[in-house]
Amino acid sequence: MAAAISIQGLTKKYVGLQRDEVVAVNNLNLDVQEGEIFGFLGRNGAGKTTTIKMLLGLVFPTAGDATLLGKPMGDSSVKQELAYLPEETYFYDSMSGWDILDFYGRLFKIPEPERSRRVKICLEKVRLQPEAWKRNIRGYSKGMRQRVGIAQALINDPKLLFLDEPTSGLDPIAHSELREIVASLKDEGKTVFLSSHQLADVELICSRVAIIHRGKLLTTGTIKDLTAGGRIEIVAEGTQLVNGTLAKLQAIIPDTHEEANHIVRLITEDNNRISAAIDAIRAASGNIISIVPIKKSLEDVFVETVRKEEGL
Amino acid sequence: MIALAIAQQTVREALRRRVMWIFLICGLFLISLGPVFGFLSPRDSQTVLRSLGLAAILLAGLFITIVTCIYLIPVEIERRTIYTVLSKPVQRYQFVLGKFLGGFATVFVNIALMGIVFLFMIWIQEHKVPTEMFQGVIMTFFQMMLLAALTIFFSTFATPVVNFFLSFGIFLVGNLSTVTESLTTNRNGVVRIVGNVVHYLLPNFGNFNIQNSIIHPTTEIANQNVYVAQNVIYAVVYSAVLLILAILIFDRREV
Ligand SMILES: Nc1ncnc2c1ncn2[C@@H]1O[C@H](COP(=O)(O)OP(=O)(O)OP(=O)(O)O)[C@@H](O)[C@H]1O
Ligand SMILES: [Mg+2]
Repeated sequence: MAAAISIQGLTKKYVGLQRDEVVAVNNLNLDVQEGEIFGFLGRNGAGKTTTIKMLLGLVFPTAGDATLLGKPMGDSSVKQELAYLPEETYFYDSMSGWDILDFYGRLFKIPEPERSRRVKICLEKVRLQPEAWKRNIRGYSKGMRQRVGIAQALINDPKLLFLDEPTSGLDPIAHSELREIVASLKDEGKTVFLSSHQLADVELICSRVAIIHRGKLLTTGTIKDLTAGGRIEIVAEGTQLVNGTLAKLQAIIPDTHEEANHIVRLITEDNNRISAAIDAIRAASGNIISIVPIKKSLEDVFVETVRKEEGL
Repeated sequence: MIALAIAQQTVREALRRRVMWIFLICGLFLISLGPVFGFLSPRDSQTVLRSLGLAAILLAGLFITIVTCIYLIPVEIERRTIYTVLSKPVQRYQFVLGKFLGGFATVFVNIALMGIVFLFMIWIQEHKVPTEMFQGVIMTFFQMMLLAALTIFFSTFATPVVNFFLSFGIFLVGNLSTVTESLTTNRNGVVRIVGNVVHYLLPNFGNFNIQNSIIHPTTEIANQNVYVAQNVIYAVVYSAVLLILAILIFDRREV
């Protein structure tokens, strides 16, 4: 598959008020394939928004280059195929949700009656209640605004979407609805570049992620690869296990704990110790209840990766 | 097309600003005071109505133009609505042009409204609308167009507060064209150079004030129509230059 986004050595230095330099994005190299939902992760201030703004030509890179849908960044013809949801959605508050979408539709030169049709489709898709369509946006709740924000991103039926925190600050129902909408974009063959702190969402809907820290790419890969590896958990049961053998087991696998009802739980990352532990359990006439690999959550991966980089 | 969509949206936002309506109402109020003052001094009632009316349009127009145009671009950046607009297939020049056209249309509506009321007052009193009165309104309108372009030019790099003082200051200095002209022949070299720069580089707002010749028919300008046409062309050309500069600056601006 072709690359929807290809970033080479993208760098952005901001000069602060005290003439101090902030390297917001530092020599970033990244490829996003067509048709994937790509999670772009990083702590506050990691440089996610800055990266997106550079790709969209809102700020200019200090160094580096990128292509979007095969065209050089900044090529205005490619904007026809793009969509952007800024991290906090702001609108002209004299307008209704309908008017705002109509306005953005005009910026794409979508003629009537096609434009009204698109506006309707988009508002329906984000499930904004129809009573609110023609109401002034000042009276919208945060969730309703966010829906309009996503709707405006869909007005041109884009190929590539940049969504910066699309699900922050929403109630659980709205949250899962909007997450499903984003997930459904993949089925329509669209590419989504998703910046988010909601790692559970990312784990659910993204195929690949990148983690950046202080502007630098720390890791990138499929969620499957990143969360794999992990640890093995052994659960065993037996009276003798708890009494005499516990210390012995702990010598083999340090993370060994006694639980209620003569149950012992052992967790290790070292596959070589598993056989020894099993032998020891058997020798003490213990029953093995389960041996399961524990998958890491994306959050574990994120915390681990970032902590390691920070040297904590 | 795109610039027009942005212009329309701009007018819509601008018309919502209460401060603009306050200045418009003040302007209309002053214009309507004309007959009252005229009544107090029947001998000069015509002069009073004419000068008060044109001055009211100028003053209200000045404030409406500045408070409208000063915020057009900064507010988009501050409210970040510009992110979504510029990520659509909108070129930056279309954005600046749209903002200018929107500001310009707003100013036009206001001046037209005050102008109509003013000319109507004149018609009531004089039973005719003299061409010079009509020209007076037109000149004020083009003067405001130039001011709008100037304010939008500054708004691409200056904060609204700085912009307010810059635009207002240049409008005042530009209105003192007789003073700045006298500086160009000053004996002091430095003064002469500064005078030349100020007189020829800054927009000459003073030339648009034909009130004096209208109100005092003795100081007649040789050919009123040519004079008006010259100044209209001056305003259009100068505004175009300012807009081109505004676009060049805005093209390099990070938002
Ligand atoms: N206009 C600017 N001028 C100076 N520094 C800036 C500017 N914009 C961003 N920065 C700095 O660049 C760094 C990256 O900011 P950015 O907004 O890209 O982070 P982010 O990853 O989007 O964070 P968040 O998750 O909080 O949205 C931060 O240190 C920020 O302070
Ligand atoms: Mg951000």
